[in-house]
Amino acid sequence: MEFLIGITGKDFVLTASDTSAARSITVMKSNEDKSCDLNKHNIMLYAGEAGDTVNFAEYIQRNVRLYGIRNGIELTPKAAATFTRKELATSLRSRHPYQVFLLIAGYDITTSSPHLYWIDYLGSSAEVPFAAHGYGAYYCLSILDRYHHPNLTLDEAKGLIKKCIDELNNRFIVNLSDFKIKVTDQDGIREITI
Amino acid sequence: MDAFVNRFKGSSTFLADEISMLDGFGSYDAVKEFSQPVFEIPAVQNANCTDEKSDSECRIKIEHGTTTLAFKFQGGIIVAVDSRASAGNYIASQTVKKVIEINPYLLGTMAGGAADCQFWQRELGRHCRLYELRNKERISVAAASKLLANMVYPYKRMGISMGTMVTGWDKTGPNLFYVDSDGSRYKNDVFSVGSGATFAYGVLDSGLDYELSTNDAIELGRRSIYQATYRDAASGGSVRIYHVEKEGWKFIGLYDVGKLHWEYCGL
Amino acid sequence: MNPVDFYNETLTSVPTEHGFYPYESNGGTALAIAGEDFCVVASDTRQSNGYLINARYAPKAFKMSEKAVLANSVFAADGNALVRRLTQRIQWYKHSHEKEISITALAQLVSNTLYYKRFFPFYTQVLLGGIDESGAGVVYSFDPVGSYGLEVCRANGTASALIQPFLDNQVEFKNVQFDDKPRMTLDRAICIAKDAFTSATERDIYTGDHLEIFIIKQDGITIESYPLKKD
Repeated sequence: MEFLIGITGKDFVLTASDTSAARSITVMKSNEDKSCDLNKHNIMLYAGEAGDTVNFAEYIQRNVRLYGIRNGIELTPKAAATFTRKELATSLRSRHPYQVFLLIAGYDITTSSPHLYWIDYLGSSAEVPFAAHGYGAYYCLSILDRYHHPNLTLDEAKGLIKKCIDELNNRFIVNLSDFKIKVTDQDGIREITI
Repeated sequence: MDAFVNRFKGSSTFLADEISMLDGFGSYDAVKEFSQPVFEIPAVQNANCTDEKSDSECRIKIEHGTTTLAFKFQGGIIVAVDSRASAGNYIASQTVKKVIEINPYLLGTMAGGAADCQFWQRELGRHCRLYELRNKERISVAAASKLLANMVYPYKRMGISMGTMVTGWDKTGPNLFYVDSDGSRYKNDVFSVGSGATFAYGVLDSGLDYELSTNDAIELGRRSIYQATYRDAASGGSVRIYHVEKEGWKFIGLYDVGKLHWEYCGL
Repeated sequence: MNPVDFYNETLTSVPTEHGFYPYESNGGTALAIAGEDFCVVASDTRQSNGYLINARYAPKAFKMSEKAVLANSVFAADGNALVRRLTQRIQWYKHSHEKEISITALAQLVSNTLYYKRFFPFYTQVLLGGIDESGAGVVYSFDPVGSYGLEVCRANGTASALIQPFLDNQVEFKNVQFDDKPRMTLDRAICIAKDAFTSATERDIYTGDHLEIFIIKQDGITIESYPLKKD
């Protein structure tokens, strides 16, 4: 019952992920961060099979960082997403594929543009203006279809995320209590509250 | 056909001959470093003979069923567990030690397969000692728990069942982690694991306060396990309690549930 | 590769399942009682397969060292394989350390030997009885994949559910009201073992024929044999 969402704006990407970690019917933890900073401008949100998620995310994170250290140039959002997608595609053809769902949100400082990638465990990757994973997507995508536009300001985007969360709290059977919200833009990644 | 298989039978994460960006990094893998299988996995995989999830009538009965809990409070961490082991509907033992003393300042708890927990936590103890000898300082609880998670992760989906809490006191103070055989690892202030965990959580969550005195905290742990043994048929025996302090863990006591019952009835 | 070839090869190389089950239950019961300075390990010698009795004298308990006896039940083939493996390891230990293996070390060895076959287990329940370094009697019991613990008394095998409650009451005095509990002497332990087996033979079809009692003391191991009902 996990939920990840990302929205691109004019010069930023806003992301949110739920914070509950559940084992069967029990919530083991209610402040789990399901995102990791790949580098200064790229965030990866992850959900899916327990154990696989963190293991895969850390593997990607460390390799993206290593690339930055080795070459003195950070991977762009597109490069990070391409690399991640390929790792998943390779894993899918192994004996134990990683079962993870990802969103990669980043701000490309070379072109000064925000990017968001929707990736699933089958190795599908798509660049999209907004995206969501989990049952929550069924409620939120229509809201985003209706209100999203390319010149979204941060305040507007915050309002949109709030609309989505309110709708989940209203209609979704599972209580996702809290969300971790992050934004990436020219200045890098920071956590915000709405 | 072989060529096709060979292309994919190597590492699951990337193909060795296609590395460019990962060149050099590929030879180091934390998982391999710490958890090379200590044994060969045989070609015949009879995981289903022991896995109750996939085969409810599994012939080989492995000891299962538990309530364990641990929580942080102002005086450190309280760890409380029951002591029953059931194999199917037979009570295999009422005197199991479900708190595993990894070393004088690290504790692990046992839920799921008894042998899985015992074996891997012993292996963890060995790794922690090696770390100590190599680095001339004690391993942190965070690192120890990650070591355990990384050791069992390669065996995911092979039938290993382990739900454990790793606790201890290190440079950063008291620490509590949950590690299981799925490979998940969480840090938190309260955990309860096992078939009776929901019952224990009920009592524990409603009575928990960070400012609790040590005696009250011990009593809360004892009462929570007692209530779990009362509702969960697979839990029982005695309540075993440990207190994690700055100087290391301390064994508090073993309380027979049969006697506790009359005590709590006010007799 | 030609897609057609690929398809054909896949069809012919698919493994066929024949419903092979590598395990069997051969029945039988074993028990062990630890005293202050002795240990008693008793087991019946019947080996069955369903309603058929394979053998009337197929021992399940084996002397592993001068101070340890191992008894296993359930699947005889795995039990024997385990004993063979352990015997070799124990001899190895003796030669490389120039001393007999202690029962504490032996218990850990049994545990690891069982766990190393975690993904294709030995289908056996193991009891290990003997004398430890301080001269005290000890009993260790193991599940099929190597979880183990120190115990005072323990019954394994097909009649375990019949015998264990009797031992709990007579050896550990569980749920008794009186205070002057008699000391566990060797004679008493042997009596309890005999009673346990004669009674179990009456109610368990897999237990019977002969009773073999290993008595482990500081000065060595002796074996006593008693007949059990043959029906």
